[in-house]
Amino acid sequence: MSSAESVKSEVFSQIARLLEAKSLTVTDDMPLIGGDSVLDSMKLVELCLALEDKAADMGFEFDWTSDAAMSRSRSMFRTAGSLAAEFISQMESKK
Amino acid sequence: MIVVTGASKGLGRAICERLIDKSIDVFGLARNVEEVPFASMSCDVSSYDSIKAVVQKLKSDGAKVTGLVNAAGIASMNLAVTTPPSVAQKIINTNLLGTIYCCQLFAPLMLRNKKGSIINFSTIAVALGLKGESIYAASKAGVEGFTRSFAREMADFNVKVNCIAPGPIDTSLLKGITSEQINRIVSQQIIPKQFKPKTVADLVELLIDDRSDSLSGQVLHVGGA
Repeated sequence: MSSAESVKSEVFSQIARLLEAKSLTVTDDMPLIGGDSVLDSMKLVELCLALEDKAADMGFEFDWTSDAAMSRSRSMFRTAGSLAAEFISQMESKK
Repeated sequence: MIVVTGASKGLGRAICERLIDKSIDVFGLARNVEEVPFASMSCDVSSYDSIKAVVQKLKSDGAKVTGLVNAAGIASMNLAVTTPPSVAQKIINTNLLGTIYCCQLFAPLMLRNKKGSIINFSTIAVALGLKGESIYAASKAGVEGFTRSFAREMADFNVKVNCIAPGPIDTSLLKGITSEQINRIVSQQIIPKQFKPKTVADLVELLIDDRSDSLSGQVLHVGGA
């Protein structure tokens, strides 16, 4: 598994940890915001804090508040896949 | 640790001194902190990046932030039609956006601990609709609206968000305002007297304390409105 793939898997496992329905499988197109979101707003913030900690362990700062992070993909929270992609992108650009 | 903006003078300074007197750990922010005799850092609250630099420093220092007092602000007593757009923009940027930015960036430090108190500052001019303070009042009305909604967003994380709305408190912010103008405003309060910074510091002390854990999303008018 490549480094990016293992990081993506880590992001997905953080999402899975917060899901109420433990039987759900996290997929690229799983929505994280909007009407079909699988996480409520509180869980979304908890996810951000967890990813912030994970990034710190990996030696970079995960920025979930900047214009740049939000505008690159309109919203990085659109789907599990877009969040993982943004996380990996920040890891690669800041390391 | 309680972070206090506008810490170099006026209400912010009085609040810091009160908290320090009570042995509470304070970190003051102001544009100029050269003469601030306690832990502090230079910060322009109208700049998101400037606040972010403070947050990064506190994070790297391992500081445990349990409160934020958004006391930084600028006043303006002018008719709206005689206020230059650059001044209107500066008032909105400092009073409204400065408060929003600080809340956005400091709140995650409190969410992590599932405990915190955020205190924003409005003015009695909002409730009283004072003549000559329309743009200042608009900026602070925004702060009140933000406080009420933000309080709901933070409630799940045990972070309370409240707003203090003082009348004309005896500080340097009133420089250039005549005593007749002050008396006219004070006479419209429910308790028609001019209060001292001490009264506001009393409220801050209460709002950061666990005894006020049932209060969130509230606007407290000093003097009553």
